[in-house]
Amino acid sequence: MAGTAAATSSDVAVRKKNRNRSPFYQGWKRFKKHRLAVVGLAWVVLFFIAGIIGPWVAPYDYRIGDFLAINQGPSWTHIFGTDNVGHDMFSQILYSIRSALIVAVGATLVSFVIGVVLGLWAGLRGGLADAIIMRGVDFMMTLPGFLFALILVVLLGRGYWSLILAIGIPGWAGYARLVRSLVLGMRNGEMVEAARALGASQAHIARRYMLPNVTGSMAVSLAFGIPGDLAQIAGLSIFGMGLQPPIPSFGNMLAQAGDNILGFPWLLYFPAGIFAITLLAFLFVADGLQEAFNPKGGH
Amino acid sequence: MAVATFILKRFVQIVITLILVMSVSYIMMYYSPGGFMNTTTMATVLAPLQGQNPILYQQVMDQFQSRYGLNLPLWQQIVKYVWHELTFDFGNSMQNPSLTIMSQLKQTLPISTLLAFGSVLLSVVVGVPLGIVAALKRNTWIDYVVGTVSLAGQAIPSFVLAVIMVLLFGVALPGILPIAGWGTWKDAVLPIVCLSAANIGVVARYMRGSLIETLRQDYIRTAKAKGVKYWPMIYKHGVKNSLTAMITVVGPQFAVTVMGTIWVEQIFGIPGLGKVMQSAFTSFDYPLAITSVFLLGSMIMIMNLLVDIVYALIDPRVKL
Repeated sequence: MAGTAAATSSDVAVRKKNRNRSPFYQGWKRFKKHRLAVVGLAWVVLFFIAGIIGPWVAPYDYRIGDFLAINQGPSWTHIFGTDNVGHDMFSQILYSIRSALIVAVGATLVSFVIGVVLGLWAGLRGGLADAIIMRGVDFMMTLPGFLFALILVVLLGRGYWSLILAIGIPGWAGYARLVRSLVLGMRNGEMVEAARALGASQAHIARRYMLPNVTGSMAVSLAFGIPGDLAQIAGLSIFGMGLQPPIPSFGNMLAQAGDNILGFPWLLYFPAGIFAITLLAFLFVADGLQEAFNPKGGH
Repeated sequence: MAVATFILKRFVQIVITLILVMSVSYIMMYYSPGGFMNTTTMATVLAPLQGQNPILYQQVMDQFQSRYGLNLPLWQQIVKYVWHELTFDFGNSMQNPSLTIMSQLKQTLPISTLLAFGSVLLSVVVGVPLGIVAALKRNTWIDYVVGTVSLAGQAIPSFVLAVIMVLLFGVALPGILPIAGWGTWKDAVLPIVCLSAANIGVVARYMRGSLIETLRQDYIRTAKAKGVKYWPMIYKHGVKNSLTAMITVVGPQFAVTVMGTIWVEQIFGIPGLGKVMQSAFTSFDYPLAITSVFLLGSMIMIMNLLVDIVYALIDPRVKL
């Protein structure tokens, strides 16, 4: 009995020690030191929760306006006021958070997956594949992704999937370049060489040695990617090429309320404020991650 | 001579990239559902005609198609449009058939260029000193404030900032600065400020990093040991050597600013390139849309080329 108890407690100690040494625990400890990043993370978590539970807590339907109560200021029945067709602004914002998150997270993942696949291919294969992919990266980097997104929206339309693809497809170049440089940096590194000398397979090396060493950089680039895509969606809406109304979106709210801004400024207080704070929060988190996982990397 | 070959090579690259971008854009627009004649305004005009006089309707459509070369095979359309763009023969837009695109550009392009250049200028004038202060007061509260403010400027896109400015100067503090329209220099203040926020942040952060790096160099220690006074040392040895790195940042940033003018013009109601571009893409106006792609692309790439040339002129170590 005494023996097992001792073994268990030493197991716990070992596990705790291992956990303390894991790169994620170390990173989290460094991340926690940045107060703004922690505050930002709290806001981001709140934003995600609002996006997920939004449809169940929204007091009104986003499609139905109350024509007897248009352009109202904040009150107890409509805490953020109502817009020019009587939509409840609070519900509009909850649905906008959802639509913004669906498109931004989707688009970032699309860019990320294309970028990682092409970057790995270029980095591991080298040669002609590398040359072609890197010329493609240069090509995409010369012009702003927004221009490509705009033309893709013309082609694909203004639904959820079209916007995810329109914003996601042009965004691959940055990720591909990052992954390629990480792979090249490691391919000839001592750790990989040692593993290869011991007879490890290519897949084993990629999984066991390369992947754990790139997760930090990947997390940082994803964290910078989501706010960038959030801004792009809104930018497309300002241009009249964002999510097709009546799907609520921050960009549409900003664009529409601009017409009667002086008469009914509260139509903008909440959408503009929440959107700005959200972008700021995402960037603080990304910056915190950058310093936690990549202390050497600059901006 | 080397410079001339370099410029020629880059120029050829720019032209090839432009041809590619324009062709891809044209193909995508060609296969997109809808077209200029299907947009709401045109469709409402044409629908009754189609019912009452199908022959006349067909004639109108044919005339429209042949005027803009839409009855040709796709590859011929592409060659035609790309060639016309490269020879600066932009033709007429579909929305204003009586007006040449060139005359529209003559009115709108100077406005957008003024905004973009004003913004680059303002961001250098404000960003560089901020970066210097942050670098010299490294890890003090001043550094943290500058860092946080620059990050905020980078996080919030120009159009959101523009909306906030309109609320601030239109609702909270009315009468100080105009929030809409175009005419006097005052109208340019808020748009330029909105466009510059992100650039100021980028410039300040790079300036800070680059100056900190420079001040670590051996020649700074030598200068100190020689007894060079503090500010002359910072300026002559520190700042001057860090500025070269800055130029590489300001150039690509210009691309973002050119795109940004388009949004900011929307919000402040400025009759610039943005208005023209928006109507081009939302109404499938092929000639105007391709011209927008051509202009934006060439402006950005020429700016990058200029940056490389200036960089080589300033830093003798860089060879073109």
